[in-house]
Amino acid sequence: MNNFLIILENFLAESGIYVLTFILMALGIFGMIVSGNYMKKLMCMNILQVSIIFFFLTFGQKNGATLPVVLEHLLGAESYINPLPHALMLTAIVVSLGTTGVGLALLMKIKDIYGTIEEDEITGKGGSKNE
Amino acid sequence: MSNFLNHLPVLVIIFPLAATLLCPLLGHFSRDFSKRAVIFGLFLSMVCAFIQLIQVIKNGEPIHYFIGGWMPPIGIEFVIDGLNGLIIVLVSTISWMTSLFSSPFELLERGNELRSVGYYTILCFLAVGLLGMSSTGDAFNLYVFMEITALSGYGLIAIGEEKGPIAAFRYLMTGTIGASMYLLGVGFLYALTGTLNMADLAVRLADSHDSPLIIASIACLIIGFGIKMALFPLHGWQPAAHSYAHPAADPMIAGIMIKIPAYAMLRFFFCIFDKSSPIIETFFTAISIMAICGILYGSLKALRYDTYNKILAFSSIGQVGYIAMGFAIGNFYGLIGAVLHIVSHAFMKVGLFYTSAALKYKYDIHKISELGQVYRKMPVTSLTMVVCALSMVGLPPFAGFFSKWYLALGAIEKGQYIFVAVLIVSSLLGVIYFFRIFENMFMGEFNAIGTDNPVKGKFEVPWQLIIPMCMVIVAIVALGLFNSFIINKVLKVTVLEVFLG
Repeated sequence: MNNFLIILENFLAESGIYVLTFILMALGIFGMIVSGNYMKKLMCMNILQVSIIFFFLTFGQKNGATLPVVLEHLLGAESYINPLPHALMLTAIVVSLGTTGVGLALLMKIKDIYGTIEEDEITGKGGSKNE
Repeated sequence: MSNFLNHLPVLVIIFPLAATLLCPLLGHFSRDFSKRAVIFGLFLSMVCAFIQLIQVIKNGEPIHYFIGGWMPPIGIEFVIDGLNGLIIVLVSTISWMTSLFSSPFELLERGNELRSVGYYTILCFLAVGLLGMSSTGDAFNLYVFMEITALSGYGLIAIGEEKGPIAAFRYLMTGTIGASMYLLGVGFLYALTGTLNMADLAVRLADSHDSPLIIASIACLIIGFGIKMALFPLHGWQPAAHSYAHPAADPMIAGIMIKIPAYAMLRFFFCIFDKSSPIIETFFTAISIMAICGILYGSLKALRYDTYNKILAFSSIGQVGYIAMGFAIGNFYGLIGAVLHIVSHAFMKVGLFYTSAALKYKYDIHKISELGQVYRKMPVTSLTMVVCALSMVGLPPFAGFFSKWYLALGAIEKGQYIFVAVLIVSSLLGVIYFFRIFENMFMGEFNAIGTDNPVKGKFEVPWQLIIPMCMVIVAIVALGLFNSFIINKVLKVTVLEVFLG
């Protein structure tokens, strides 16, 4: 039992954060598939995007390193974390903001046309899904 | 002059980007200004793309352009070789044709100034995204351009017919999963190598081709690109999106928006990963199964529908399957067939959607049962439809025959006869669903098609619609007749050295 706890602790210390990130991602995709309300789908889409952003930020970290701003007494790349994932994710955050914005605009349009954003009611009103 | 030539790869993208940004501004003064800015910007881009392709062929080696003078792997790099030079010419030509084709359609939306200006802005932005995706040599830059493409695509689908917003919203959901999966795959590669430049990735991945991260990354990339290119089990968004998009923008959405992710997938699989490793072989088998199912499913599904756009959309699922089949075959002829099919199918589908839009413009025809005797009234449209459809089926003088021919040659060379069988069966199914359209058009009853939209001038539809349709006919015949020239002069060196080297 004690042995198991040690293994678990090591595992969580090494890759626990990745497990949590992937659980978050799975939750996002699951929610997008299952929920019937388009607004909830959009929120789950955001959760999915945030989980990918977390993933990138996580592998940018390293132990014993500091912010990537040059300090006078610290020389050498090993004392700083990798700033590139952060820069990449800044772009990804902007993209996700844009996608959410377009999604909300589409939802307003859908609400105008159908008077609802529940998937069941829309497919019921607008004929079958295929035609 | 030489200075101008040095900056060609970025000029191809800068002109439409500038037009996109100027378009809403000019729209404040006059709608015509903004329209002309977009058409002119895309025309300049097309000219640059042609000069660039000629340069690549003349030099015989790829052009490397470093954005802002930053050398790779730190900076972003544009790489233009024979293959993507050809794809860029394709994208810019079709974008220019479509921007010209769209101009009469705004008359139908009179009194809605902002909507028309917005339409041109988004259309031009779509072209920027597609051109960027085909030129870039950087994996993350590809993601950004992919999202530009996708976001403008959602807009163009949403301003279409009544069901447009729903189709666009579904596409937004699915497309975002695809883009996130792509980003995740790139994240794995970055975690493994610490670089995002494609050439650099290939070098650094050379000795770690069986790491679990690579397997996860390839799986994510297949899902990501598969969603974007509507490969069979991931095609759920495609039929609705292609049927309900804005009729004038539909050619571009259906014709090239699903081809460029296919090209990007080709580049990832053949330039970055080690093709000879058993893992890639396994994934190629998976892709080939998806392709075969997709070809049969798309062709069979197309038989069921009466709506013209739906038939075309389902036929696209099958045709994307051909392209994926070309990758999965993976030898010289397979790749040539896939690339030729990207180009020729782009022209064929664009032509068919032009005819669909012209029919909607003049008679508001949506279903093929309403097509009766329409060839008497619209000869050019009908001719375009016949040429494109015969090319899709694969009749020899047209482009469609030769891409299928090279795919079949590749499959025979590799001994995979099932591909040849699938190719023939699906072509026969294509005969059935296209001849159903012909039957209605040439032999159907003439039903007095209510209010025809009065058109000035001596043609059946405005000249802006006639010119792109004629260009499509010329392109399909020329691609068919000069296919050996294109393969020997443009594609051969690149495919042999960059993709199979």
